[in-house]
Amino acid sequence: MSKRFILVNGTDFAAMVFAGADNLRNHAEKVNGLNVFPVPDGDTGTNMNLTIASGVEELKKKPSAHLGKAADALSKGLLMGARGNSGVILSQLFRGFAKHVHDLEEASAQQLAAALQTGVETAYKAVVKPVEGTILTVSKEAAKHALQMKRTADVLELMQEVLGKAQEALARTPEQLPVLKQVGVVDAGGQGLVYVYEGFVAALRRGGSFGDMEDDGILDAPFELAGPAAAVGGAALDLAKEVHAAASRPAQAHLATEDIEFGYCTEFMLTVVPGKVQGQVFAEDAFRAKLGQLGDSLLVVADEGLVKVHIHAEYPGEVMNEAMKFGDLSRIKIENMRDQHAHIVEEHAGAVSAQALASAAVAVPAAPAAAPRPAAKRYGMVAVAIGDGITDIMTSVGVDVVLSGGQTMNPSTEDIVNAVSRIDAATIFVLPNNSNIILAAQQAAGLIEHKQLIVIPTKTIPQGLAAIVAFQDKADAAANESAMNAAIKRIKSGQVTFAVRDTNMDGMEIKRGHFIGIEDGTIVCSQPGLMDASKKLLQEMVEEGDELVTILTGVDANSDETEELCAFISEMYPGMDIELHAGGQPLYTYIFSVE
Amino acid sequence: MGKVRIVTDSTADIPAAVREELGIEMVPLNIHFGSETFLDTVTLTSEQFYDKLQTSGVFPKTSQPSPAEFLAVYERLAAEPDVEIVSIHLASVLSGTYQSAVLGASMLESAKVHVVDSRSASYGIGALVVAAAEAARAGQSVEQILQLIERQREHFYIYFLVDTLEYLQKGGRIGKASALLGSLLNIKPILSIDPEGEVAAVDKVRGHKKAMARIVELLERDIADRPIRLYIAHANNQEGADQLSEALAERFHVRAAAYIALGPVIGAHAGPGTIAAFVSTE
Repeated sequence: MSKRFILVNGTDFAAMVFAGADNLRNHAEKVNGLNVFPVPDGDTGTNMNLTIASGVEELKKKPSAHLGKAADALSKGLLMGARGNSGVILSQLFRGFAKHVHDLEEASAQQLAAALQTGVETAYKAVVKPVEGTILTVSKEAAKHALQMKRTADVLELMQEVLGKAQEALARTPEQLPVLKQVGVVDAGGQGLVYVYEGFVAALRRGGSFGDMEDDGILDAPFELAGPAAAVGGAALDLAKEVHAAASRPAQAHLATEDIEFGYCTEFMLTVVPGKVQGQVFAEDAFRAKLGQLGDSLLVVADEGLVKVHIHAEYPGEVMNEAMKFGDLSRIKIENMRDQHAHIVEEHAGAVSAQALASAAVAVPAAPAAAPRPAAKRYGMVAVAIGDGITDIMTSVGVDVVLSGGQTMNPSTEDIVNAVSRIDAATIFVLPNNSNIILAAQQAAGLIEHKQLIVIPTKTIPQGLAAIVAFQDKADAAANESAMNAAIKRIKSGQVTFAVRDTNMDGMEIKRGHFIGIEDGTIVCSQPGLMDASKKLLQEMVEEGDELVTILTGVDANSDETEELCAFISEMYPGMDIELHAGGQPLYTYIFSVE
Repeated sequence: MGKVRIVTDSTADIPAAVREELGIEMVPLNIHFGSETFLDTVTLTSEQFYDKLQTSGVFPKTSQPSPAEFLAVYERLAAEPDVEIVSIHLASVLSGTYQSAVLGASMLESAKVHVVDSRSASYGIGALVVAAAEAARAGQSVEQILQLIERQREHFYIYFLVDTLEYLQKGGRIGKASALLGSLLNIKPILSIDPEGEVAAVDKVRGHKKAMARIVELLERDIADRPIRLYIAHANNQEGADQLSEALAERFHVRAAAYIALGPVIGAHAGPGTIAAFVSTE
């Protein structure tokens, strides 16, 4: 059955969105394949798919026949689920759209055209340096064309024109963005948008019969698409799956409140009183081992008779009883993390302010010299990273929350908002450590109230580490921001991975399966062997006056080769310091920083 | 007007020759390797100490002189007629030495002792003590000398680098640099002594050369173009001391320069390899 749409209401709009999301999901792998770099972790399709899936989820939660309300629900879901630059732009397109139709029960073709245009304007404003030849251009040309169709009363006809124009604009993207032409692809984000518009048109063609929409599987299976499976082949497939499984785990929203094993975050100071309990002599290691049996996230710092204890435990009383064998307690702070988590989950449902978190804190006045809960700290830090080793390094230098993610799995705006709300600090620095996460982080900054969020636009892990080292606890926020930004300019970042297809870039022939060296976003070498590529990359990176090479080894680095690399550096650059760490990152055998 | 005598402790790291020449009395702290106890710089020289540190495998502990040891020195000085004593010591936030001196002084009845908390360490104390002794020899009053010490403090800048924070941590003197503990990256903190006398990290960089360059920058900010007196102290690290000295001589107008050996007690807390720049613009 077909009907002519003169007006579109919330239900019709939802059907369009579901079909658009469905179509994007079915083609996500194709969009991933449009990655400009022949690296094994292109993921624009995955990102856009996860973004729109979050919008769909919200829309299903709050269905409305009122167009404005339906569009608001979609916009909110997209905003929170936004991942990757294209995902963020997609969310902004519909944010503008929703603003425009906010008060409309239903909309005519002309009203929809104007809403598309508002979306484009909103998206352009959200991007600091809009680049033509991307999803922005595709959306802009499509909306411009829609505005010109003043005589069209039929929404299907309008959307067909929008789709046609978007496809044309997409086909032209290689003319606008030289790198696309060089590689011979169209823009991935633009392609994603075209798939969404295709879904819109298909839904309108079906004529509003959407009975099966509940079963479309969009929500059930968004994660299976993730990954470079098609492009990479068997061995990497398993790895990619692992990566994605790991990456999706720490996102707090995916964690059920009842899954928290140790429910109470417990902190106190122990002043050691020798002989307090006869026969009990305080020994730091034994004390740590004992507490370790009572919970996790344990931290014991002893300094001249004063011991600071932090632990997540199910029975904080047991922990304190143990400590009191050795002395007196003070500055006791216990927080119910299940409450806190429930608050965070509620917060995502759109209700509770960040202050609710603070009220979950419980000061326990029972022990001697109990002080009130210390004020929130001045600074906090969130960094995005993948790999156990890199995560440990980040934590060791003061990062409060390390969000799992990177090129392979970009955290969403919501993941970043989540991480930030877990930190009780006035100002929080966010280090995206990937160019494709910066926008989502900036979007998160716009969503956080009661806290200052400063995004340091770090594009690599080395830049992130340099920024952390430049941070000074005593300096004010503005001074820190400028010091951290200056630090990322001083450091050179290198990555070694393998090519997943043949291509030509900057006059360099890259063969599938060869190893490529990337310096600060530019492929500088391609070699059949890992060692050759790594050495060549280092030679490109190291300049007169450099004194420190840091090597982060990936999961697939082997120690003989790493040793060979260190020997090479020592021989080529006498006096150069080398710092070697197991990074544990997937896909990138080596990450180098040179400074 | 009577005579003013100057007393300090071994952590001032004043070379023995200078002490003798200026008539500065020094009360040594104690240093313990297991059950063996030595008098700082007296029965254990810096050289012997760093050797022992490498070979013994024992982490040394230190302890303040007893009030009686201070009292003994004060009594000896007070045997002369009409003597006043200025006793200048290691920062009270770092050590109980100052407290011991205050107690010792309270037990002395025959003369007046002014115990001064240097709120500093090593040659940060030493430079104050030398200036005080020179003023005393020039016949200045206690009042004038105490004022001089405060003025000297205001024009004094200290930066130091440790090879590892382990020694400061084990000795419990890490103070405000504790945030850097546990870092898996080899981060070099640029350390200083803050106005209260605590160890504080003023900056952090990665790599030794950058740390040196940063010290020069920090001093440029502090003293601009004023001429300086420069004391480079080191814990068994002549090479590092030379590098730092050269870097500073290149940039500043150095009126006087000297190398200082960090004594066993300071060395036990900062760790071997430590280098320090003590700069005065007075």
